[in-house]
Amino acid sequence: MSTSPEFLLDARVVLDRGDLHLDVELQVHHGEVVAVMGPNGAGKTTLLNALLGWLPLQSGWVLVDGETFEAPGEGIVTATHRRGLGMVFQDGLLFPHLKVAGNIEFGAAPNADLASLIETLEVSNLLEKYPSELSAGQIQRVALARTLAADPKMVLLDEPLAALDIAGRSRARELIGTALSENLSGALLVTHDPADAFALAQRVLVLENGRVAQFDSPSAIQSEPKSRWIADLMGWNIFRGAGRGSSVVMPNGTEIATAGLQTDGEVSVMINPVAVALFPERPVGSPRNSWLCRVRGVQFLGDIARVSLSGPLTIYADITSSAAAELALKEGTEIWVTVKATEVHTDAHSNGD
Amino acid sequence: MRAQLPVRIRVIAFGALLFICAPLVSLLWRVPWSRLVDLLTREVVTDALLLSLITSLAAALAALALGVPLALYLTRMNGFSASLIRAVVVLPMILPPVVGGAALLFAFGRNGLVGSAVSDLTGLVLPYTLTGVIVANTFVALPFVILTVEGALRASDSRFELAAATLGANESRVTFRVVLPMVRPALIAGGFLGWARALGEFGATITFAGNIQGKTQTLPLAVFVALETDRDAALAMSVVLISVSLLILVSLRDRWWPVR
Repeated sequence: MSTSPEFLLDARVVLDRGDLHLDVELQVHHGEVVAVMGPNGAGKTTLLNALLGWLPLQSGWVLVDGETFEAPGEGIVTATHRRGLGMVFQDGLLFPHLKVAGNIEFGAAPNADLASLIETLEVSNLLEKYPSELSAGQIQRVALARTLAADPKMVLLDEPLAALDIAGRSRARELIGTALSENLSGALLVTHDPADAFALAQRVLVLENGRVAQFDSPSAIQSEPKSRWIADLMGWNIFRGAGRGSSVVMPNGTEIATAGLQTDGEVSVMINPVAVALFPERPVGSPRNSWLCRVRGVQFLGDIARVSLSGPLTIYADITSSAAAELALKEGTEIWVTVKATEVHTDAHSNGD
Repeated sequence: MRAQLPVRIRVIAFGALLFICAPLVSLLWRVPWSRLVDLLTREVVTDALLLSLITSLAAALAALALGVPLALYLTRMNGFSASLIRAVVVLPMILPPVVGGAALLFAFGRNGLVGSAVSDLTGLVLPYTLTGVIVANTFVALPFVILTVEGALRASDSRFELAAATLGANESRVTFRVVLPMVRPALIAGGFLGWARALGEFGATITFAGNIQGKTQTLPLAVFVALETDRDAALAMSVVLISVSLLILVSLRDRWWPVR
């Protein structure tokens, strides 16, 4: 068991809840924001509730700033209200019987600078309103102000932006970023939106089936996704097939070569659309992964053209808009699709959703 | 919107409403309205009115004081033990009040299990006293408080308690600043329902506390006695009881009943 004070949060959470067996070890550095992502039912909220002391650990430990809050092995359990961990809930959970001011003051620390919090989170004109009179975005800003007013050692945020519309989201994301950097020693942010994770977090923990599938920087998650779920989320091409030597065979017989896989079981293949190259003629030297496909449609997203193709593989390619114009792509155009074996990522352990 | 009802159902529904209203209307029909004030100012009546007011209000407050903690506790229980306790708690609601009164006598009477010890220690005797009336009324009012408040507590989101705890609130702050204020309408409804029930209590009161004018004779007991001797006074007191009960139920606007 680690007791290094270099971490703000040092935890290993092991517990069973229904069908879920949660076993997660994570460390958060001082001043760091860690995003927690994962499919529904992966255990994200359960993890937060366990850290808060709302669900008991079966084994493991929870240390915050070197102080042990829970260690079943040593019989240590600290009550939730003594942990000094703040929580922002998906739906805000403002106390409906208190005005905004009453909510913010509910747990306010004696030394809290409420005035600057109220200014930073732009809630000064809401203080005399009841939560039922607020919009979703206002509720989340007040909820964050209420949590930060208690001067927590660390803040846990459970999908704080999920209830907001797209316009409110980016503004709220900005405000959260500002408030977190001004007030915080560290945070754990559960989100299902990669944009939140990449904008606010220094590291991303991918949780699947109660286990850590990947714990890495946002850029590493983007370029080297280790699981089917996160690759899918990043907009990657996902295929499932059976491993054969260093290749993976699709149900329709198409073979995809990889740079080194050696598995016989079921394998998920993940290919970044950026790594899919298009050629009007069969490429010279004929790389192993080349297929003649037909264009189903082209979608222009600024400088990027997303080309959807069907053939031996149904696959997306992201190419530059100018390249798409040069290739004169339109529906029905036949074109050669190639992917380097080194760009083919695999996830042999994924058991899907 | 809902589908139209078949005519048969509508006829029966109307009949049911008539069946409930007919006795009330007939009673009001016979009330000597011109002499109402005169009847209500007789000593027997004013004694009973005052006594009923004091005992029913005290019983409602006592039922809240005892019932809310039990409701909070029941909310945290599940499974068979919770069902069992709930059944016991609700029992006074459907038990014949006379049986309830008899049970109270065996418990808190001079020779009762608890009563004998209490009177040995403090000299306090409950039966045939004003306090006895309050005890009997509290006994029958309690289930209404517990059921109303527990229903509201179960319907409220327990994550508010977690939210309060993450803001540093300890158990009593969570309970008194968050949990109970959030079910305030149910606390009010439970209190008023308990009050209405206590106001109308007859069987348990007469069995446990007797029927002594100015001491334990509440309005319902006075009505019962007056029916034999002074029918007009009985009618006048009935008007008071019906009005108060109806006023309570209407002012609660269905909050006592699971209608949205």
